[in-house]
Amino acid sequence: MNDIWSIEKIQEILPQRYPFLFIDKVLEVNKEQGKVVCIKNFTINDYFFAGHFPANPVTPGVIIIEALAQASIILYAALKPEIAARHPDYYLGKVEVKFLKPVKPGDQLVLEVKKEKAMANAGIVKAMAKVNNNIVAEGTIVFGVKEKQ
Amino acid sequence: MLEEMKAKIKTIVSEILEVPQDKLSDEARFFEDLNVDSMMALEIVASIEKKLKIVIPEEEIPKLRSLKNVFESLDKLMMK
Repeated sequence: MNDIWSIEKIQEILPQRYPFLFIDKVLEVNKEQGKVVCIKNFTINDYFFAGHFPANPVTPGVIIIEALAQASIILYAALKPEIAARHPDYYLGKVEVKFLKPVKPGDQLVLEVKKEKAMANAGIVKAMAKVNNNIVAEGTIVFGVKEKQ
Repeated sequence: MLEEMKAKIKTIVSEILEVPQDKLSDEARFFEDLNVDSMMALEIVASIEKKLKIVIPEEEIPKLRSLKNVFESLDKLMMK
């Protein structure tokens, strides 16, 4: 079952906002396969390019990790909608990611996240980021989910 | 359970928790004694599944509260 999400629906699930929302669109939500595909477009107007680096704009690796982590929340919300509806806190536990190619202004980052494990209070995903079908970063993300008191 | 398999599981748990094997007793309670959180617990489960090529059902995970519990649960799972 495929399901394309608009930015409005993304904002219902993700607590992040400008300047820290790194999902523009959700292209695919596949609950059966435990997989989502999301998109983040980078432009020279993005604030971090002014400093990272002057005269050599490159997307910071931590921002790519953040985009993959936000895609993981979308996946979690698709798999555990009843928990996501209560807007829990999501936090990163452990990240192991390899960076293979630089991501530049104008690049469209395709974020693919697949479930390894999803429980009520934690999850593990395999995450991959691509530009023009080339893998630019891939790895594993472990995250926690905690209901607000 | 075979000692060899127990040793494998102990190695996995020791690596994820960063606790030396000689300080990791079979009875030590993951949450109370070893400060394991839900994310580390899930990492242990995923790693055991991958390395021992078995599937641990979700409802079994909350029962894994010490190495001894892990050995007992896996014994039951492998008998099925």
